[in-house]
Amino acid sequence: MTWISLAPEWTALLMAAVFLAFSMAGNSGAKRNFFTAVFLSAAGVVAAWSALGAQGVFFSHVYQLNLFSQLFKVLLSLGLFLIVCQCSELKGIRERQHPECYLLLSISTLGTMMMVSSVDLLTLYVSLEVSSYSLYLLVALRKGEGTHREASIKYLLTGAATSAVMLFGLALLFGAAATTNIIELQTALTTAMNRPLYLLGLLLTLSGFFFKLALFPFHIWAPTVYEGAPNQVAAYIATATKTAAAAVLVRLVASAGENNPHFVRALVILAIASMTYGNLVALRQKDLKRLFAYSAVAHAGYILVGILSTSEKGYGGAIFYAFAYLTMTYACFLVLVKVAVDGGNLTVEGLAGLHRRSPLLAMTLLLGVFSLGGIPPTIGFTGKFLVFVAALEKDLFYLVLISMINVVVSLYYYALIVKAAYLTPPKETVGAIVLSPATTGLTLLIDLIIVVGGLFPGYLYELALAATKVLVLPAP
Amino acid sequence: MTMEMAQFPYLSAILLSCVVGLIVILLTPPERKGLILWTSTIFSGIAMALSVCVFFAYDKTQAGLQFVEKLPWIPSLGIQYFNAADGFNLPLILLTGIVHFTGVLTMWELEERVKEFFAFYFVLVTGVFGFFMSMDLFFTFVWYDVSLFPMYPLIAVWGSTRKEYGAMKLFLYLLAGSALILPVFIYLFAKSGLNSFDVVALMQPGTFTPFQQRFAFIFLYLGFGILAGVWPFHTWSPTGHAAAPTSVSMLHAGVLMKLGAFGILRIAIFLCPEGWIYWSKVMAVLATAGIVYGIFVGLTQMDLKFVIGYSSVSHMGIVGLGLSTVTAEGLEGAVFQMFSHGIMTALLFSSVGYVHDRTETKLIPELGGLSKIMPVASGYFISGALAGMGVPGMANFWAELTVFISSLKVYPVLGILSISALVISALFMLRVVQKTFYGEKNERFAQLPDVSFGLGLPRMILVLILVLFGFFPSIMLDVIRTSTIPFMAGLAR
Repeated sequence: MTWISLAPEWTALLMAAVFLAFSMAGNSGAKRNFFTAVFLSAAGVVAAWSALGAQGVFFSHVYQLNLFSQLFKVLLSLGLFLIVCQCSELKGIRERQHPECYLLLSISTLGTMMMVSSVDLLTLYVSLEVSSYSLYLLVALRKGEGTHREASIKYLLTGAATSAVMLFGLALLFGAAATTNIIELQTALTTAMNRPLYLLGLLLTLSGFFFKLALFPFHIWAPTVYEGAPNQVAAYIATATKTAAAAVLVRLVASAGENNPHFVRALVILAIASMTYGNLVALRQKDLKRLFAYSAVAHAGYILVGILSTSEKGYGGAIFYAFAYLTMTYACFLVLVKVAVDGGNLTVEGLAGLHRRSPLLAMTLLLGVFSLGGIPPTIGFTGKFLVFVAALEKDLFYLVLISMINVVVSLYYYALIVKAAYLTPPKETVGAIVLSPATTGLTLLIDLIIVVGGLFPGYLYELALAATKVLVLPAP
Repeated sequence: MTMEMAQFPYLSAILLSCVVGLIVILLTPPERKGLILWTSTIFSGIAMALSVCVFFAYDKTQAGLQFVEKLPWIPSLGIQYFNAADGFNLPLILLTGIVHFTGVLTMWELEERVKEFFAFYFVLVTGVFGFFMSMDLFFTFVWYDVSLFPMYPLIAVWGSTRKEYGAMKLFLYLLAGSALILPVFIYLFAKSGLNSFDVVALMQPGTFTPFQQRFAFIFLYLGFGILAGVWPFHTWSPTGHAAAPTSVSMLHAGVLMKLGAFGILRIAIFLCPEGWIYWSKVMAVLATAGIVYGIFVGLTQMDLKFVIGYSSVSHMGIVGLGLSTVTAEGLEGAVFQMFSHGIMTALLFSSVGYVHDRTETKLIPELGGLSKIMPVASGYFISGALAGMGVPGMANFWAELTVFISSLKVYPVLGILSISALVISALFMLRVVQKTFYGEKNERFAQLPDVSFGLGLPRMILVLILVLFGFFPSIMLDVIRTSTIPFMAGLAR
């Protein structure tokens, strides 16, 4: 219980401080900013990894370190590092604002790290807002005339509205249990979860994180924000923040304990609605980022399938799925960032001829979308498999069947992406995309994680299961 | 981490030959087409040699699983890497080896995007081999999908007739099938309470209640049935076959459709025998409908590949009929029919592929008199057609005979209906042969060369195998019997 256990947070804070200084100093070179960011975020991954075993309680029992929080800090710092790696050509943002971009990214990551460690409802709320406000600004950073202003305002307004709903939920929970401490709340919830006040309070509290996860009907912001935000920021919103949201959802749902039929039913309805709506609307999308936004709505539903199983296997599966989702979405955005000209948006047709321009990127895209589509031997399949196992152990056969039908629907638009990359001839001649050796290495690494994580999920899954053990109350 | 291994791990070696082949192909620069072709040929040759070896190394005096390879994979979910061979899957492993090798040889003239083609092709074959030998539900499903998804790029990029439509239709149909299968796999896992995906552990009598078996069986039957081309879920198959490039059609009709039929046998029938008995009449009716329908629709087709596609629907109906009899002979015939139909269809598609490459058409009215222009190439097609008609001396004769004898005992009406349909099918094949290869010579094609020795080699291998098993069916039947008879005996207890 030393302050050194907070290394991941310290590193994120350090990164924020450095870039605050840079942005105040002005006229720093884009290269210097980039390399500093890569170095500091890599240090963050190392720090998070070395703090994986840390345990302890801080700040009068509002901040807890355990395997669960530390595992997610590794994932979050990894997410930040990977996104920073994409920023070598940050064309979507004016050069003098690059330090601000890195500053806000690190503050947002700090906020998400605090989210996964909070064991107090108020700390949880504050950390959520810390991470959200940075994102509202990040979306607005995009240069040029575009939809980014609309996106930023829309994100802010819907975010604020959801915060209000969430605060109401927190108030109800506090009113019912007379505590804001999640661990004390857990004891109250497991005995009295079927009381309407608790049920409503918890569901409304969860909606703040449903919003982050872009679960239907809290997804309104997602397509506009994805489309309007700079590509790298969209990638960050699509990967790291989703992981954090999944983490808090796992923690809060786990605090409600098992055997709450009404609660589970509400989540089942949300999951089915989310995946069905997301997939059906994605079928019609032409813009690649909008398409990924709707596919994210669908994936939020699949993650919820694991969470609503309210069992250790379910939570473990959801954590695994969150990691899988981070890698495969990252792979798709990596391709998008490299293919999009001058940091602009990319349509599905814009991928035409990719297999000639860069066979490696085409293969990465193939792996990424087929992984999103849940085709083995990719990590996306294994993630789905694990959450489905948990759901079926709770006798939710119909839910799994509906999810699988949804998977088939989604394969149509994923296959269209593959078709564009592999089959459609480009309208005008476009040059080859030359990747730097570092980018090539990064791309290959992501490909490898997608395939190897799918074939050998054992280690990661056991880790995820171990992380959930600390969340579930021991049987009385 | 212990690996039970008594002898040379043939099965993993087969998989490894495909994976290593794939890696070598991926590492070769795309300009070195010759090198990629040779690599593919050598590694597919190794896979074929190994599959022949394992077929003959099988000990026929012992029943049960042989060549068992086990490795724990995800212990907390009871998932194992578990490969084994018995009389049910050995013929199919052999079939895959043969069609894999001959398929590569058939594509020897490919010019366009050679590297990518063979990379996807090897992924597909790895999945097929893995599916046939796996005895763990998790891996079965992984291999199943691995063998399906390369079909999409393979058809969409290198195909012909309405390729994008055909590819998308096939892809979505087959994956819809897998969407029905996966929930049931996990359902069986959850209901068994054994925390295991091991097929051998799950097939112990009494693991599932009769209701669970009936419920699971129908989903498995429909899911795998889509891939097996069971009527009325067959519509993807002729379109997909017609659109696919030659070797992909060969693998697809020859091997991939057997994945579906084998899945029904290995998973649905093994794990849910009560469900099998309960639904067998439905299976029989659908199978007969498929036999009759395939033949009548095939009669009206103008496109050679559609003709073969519909004949596949009807021949796969025979497999389904065999499976629906709930007798040892029926299963025996079904497995033998899977093997011989695979070889025969591969031969037909490969011969049509040659004709199509040269004449650039596969429409029957535009062809004609080809036997005068390319007698050898025509000979291959006609041999395949004869096998398809069930002429004695070809492997198909014995397979169909076994199925029909057993089905006549169980379902006299449906059996007679199928046999009469088969007589018409002879007419159907003869019509195609007559219009395409005999009659007036089409002057447009008079200058075309006949098939060379190198390109003829794969067809020759296929013809020889059909004849070999036509004259010595006992080589195959003895192997199959080592599994069918104990299985049915175990069921009766």
